[in-house]
Amino acid sequence: MNGQQPVNIVMIEDDEGHARLIEKNIRRAGISNAIRHFVDGTSALKYLYEDESGPALNGPALILLDLNLPDMSGTDILAKIKSEGALRRTPVVVLTTTDDKIEIQRCYDLGCNVYITKPVNYESFAEAIKQLGLFLSVIQVPDIETD
Amino acid sequence: MKAPTLFSLNKDKHFGQIVIAFVSLGFLAIFAAGLASALAVQRNREHTIWLVHTYEVERGISRVDAAVQGMRFARRGYLLDRRHGLRVEYAQARGDLAKAIGQVDALTRDNQRQQALIPQLKWLSGQLDTRLLLTMAQADAGRITGVGQRSGDAGSANFGQRIRQVTARMFAEEQRLLGERLVAQQTSIRLFFWALAIGGVLVVLVAIGSVATIRRYTFNLMQSRDELRLLNEDLEGAVRVRTIDLQRANDEIQRFAYIVSHDLRSPLVNVMGFTSELDAAATPLRTLIDRAEVEAPGLVTEEARVAAREDLPEAIGFIRTSTQKMDRLINAILRLSREGRRTITPEALDMAAMFQSVADTLRHRTDEVGATVTIADDLPQLVSDRVAVEQIASNLVENAVKYLQPGRPGLVEVTGRRQGARVLYQIKDNGRGIDPKDHERVFDLFRRSGVQDQPGEGIGLAHVRALAYRLGGTITLSSRLGEGAVFEVNLPAIFAGAGEKDA
Repeated sequence: MNGQQPVNIVMIEDDEGHARLIEKNIRRAGISNAIRHFVDGTSALKYLYEDESGPALNGPALILLDLNLPDMSGTDILAKIKSEGALRRTPVVVLTTTDDKIEIQRCYDLGCNVYITKPVNYESFAEAIKQLGLFLSVIQVPDIETD
Repeated sequence: MKAPTLFSLNKDKHFGQIVIAFVSLGFLAIFAAGLASALAVQRNREHTIWLVHTYEVERGISRVDAAVQGMRFARRGYLLDRRHGLRVEYAQARGDLAKAIGQVDALTRDNQRQQALIPQLKWLSGQLDTRLLLTMAQADAGRITGVGQRSGDAGSANFGQRIRQVTARMFAEEQRLLGERLVAQQTSIRLFFWALAIGGVLVVLVAIGSVATIRRYTFNLMQSRDELRLLNEDLEGAVRVRTIDLQRANDEIQRFAYIVSHDLRSPLVNVMGFTSELDAAATPLRTLIDRAEVEAPGLVTEEARVAAREDLPEAIGFIRTSTQKMDRLINAILRLSREGRRTITPEALDMAAMFQSVADTLRHRTDEVGATVTIADDLPQLVSDRVAVEQIASNLVENAVKYLQPGRPGLVEVTGRRQGARVLYQIKDNGRGIDPKDHERVFDLFRRSGVQDQPGEGIGLAHVRALAYRLGGTITLSSRLGEGAVFEVNLPAIFAGAGEKDA
């Protein structure tokens, strides 16, 4: 791969509404990276590790991960991503409704880069997403430089 | 639960009576045996006395014979050499004879047959004496020498013979008596031994009986004790099972509360999010209406204007406040469930100090409303979870200060006492009180009572009760409307881990 390979955003979120809100706010924050959306863990993992355009085989990515998925626990996906070679360095943003300290702690222990509690307050949610956007542009820089 | 199969009291009472009767009977038997033995010994002694008596009589009879013999020898000797000493001897023997007869007479007073012979004996001995004296006198006078030549001789011999016969009869009688008495003595000795043997057997029987009874009783007692212990363990087991059941139910509720509150937040995020989107989308619509009103007033209907300017913002506003309230409630449930899952770490707590610090925190508010909080110095100590107890204390004192009766200076009293292994704390106020029909309700989540003039979600008391349960305690309320309220928290003095989560 060469040049300005864009960072793909992989969103694993079972709630369509949340997904749409996240996407809208990402776009509103001025981030235009491609977003791949998965509603369950199995298909997301398949894409991450096996798909030709997936981050394991192709290009850098940022993963937005919801912890409450219908088929598996988000923490399991996080553990898998952070423990296995190809995606170890891929930044993972955990986005969930839980603000339980223990669960947040566990996510950080497993190697999550950012933990964002989905706020009900729309403004702070947008703010969080905007910060996420800033985060995305920050991580984009070394990618461009190294390529 | 099965009924305890212990000995009935009735049976026990009977048992006691039987034991007492049995033992008394045994001792009575032993006493009887002892008495019999004593009697036997007594009789034996009597027999022995009688035996001795018989021997004495026999000796007396022998002395009679000997005396008669002595008299005759003395006379014969006198006839032969006429020594004066022999006369003396004769006199002596004669005295002996009289004495011996007297003795026999005295000894045989009880015996009719012997007594019947005594006069005969006396007479015969008298006759003999007379004959012998006669022959001796004759000899002195006629100088007769030689034996058997005097007429008196035959008579004396005859009388001697007869005396011998009488004494022989008496002797035979005594022998007969001796035989009888020996038999009687042996019988009494046998009787004595029998009595002893029966007594011994009885003692052994009583001993065996007593030991057996006591053993049976002890065995029954031990059995009862074992049953009791089993029952007790059963009870503990039952309590444990109940506790586990309760624990499980509680855990289930906690999990349920957690999942529900957690999953309820998910759609709420959407509602809030898209409400904001709606709000955002309404802004350009309003701008459009504004512009259209200016540029092409014919296009703008009254309906469209009201919808854009009033209906939409109003609807969005209501949705916002409702979702915000819902969010608060869900957060409250979440907090409760999280509190329930928190690990309890018991430590020694100075309750007076804790209530004092709660009162200090509320100082600003109490000063403002003119309320006083007094805390007893002798609040019992407690070993429990600091955070949980603190929350109970602060919630209750805060409530007391919060719901005052208007126009009455607030007075909150905190007292406590120890009751066995439990401690009781009372938070008493003179506030507006709680209607008795609401006493259960106020502990329910989101439920409140009385005039809704104070902010709150109806979470505090639910939280307090959950915490009290969690610490193995209870909370009760006694109050009448307008007369203040007393909340009593009953906690184990030392948190024993009951109701604690299994790791």
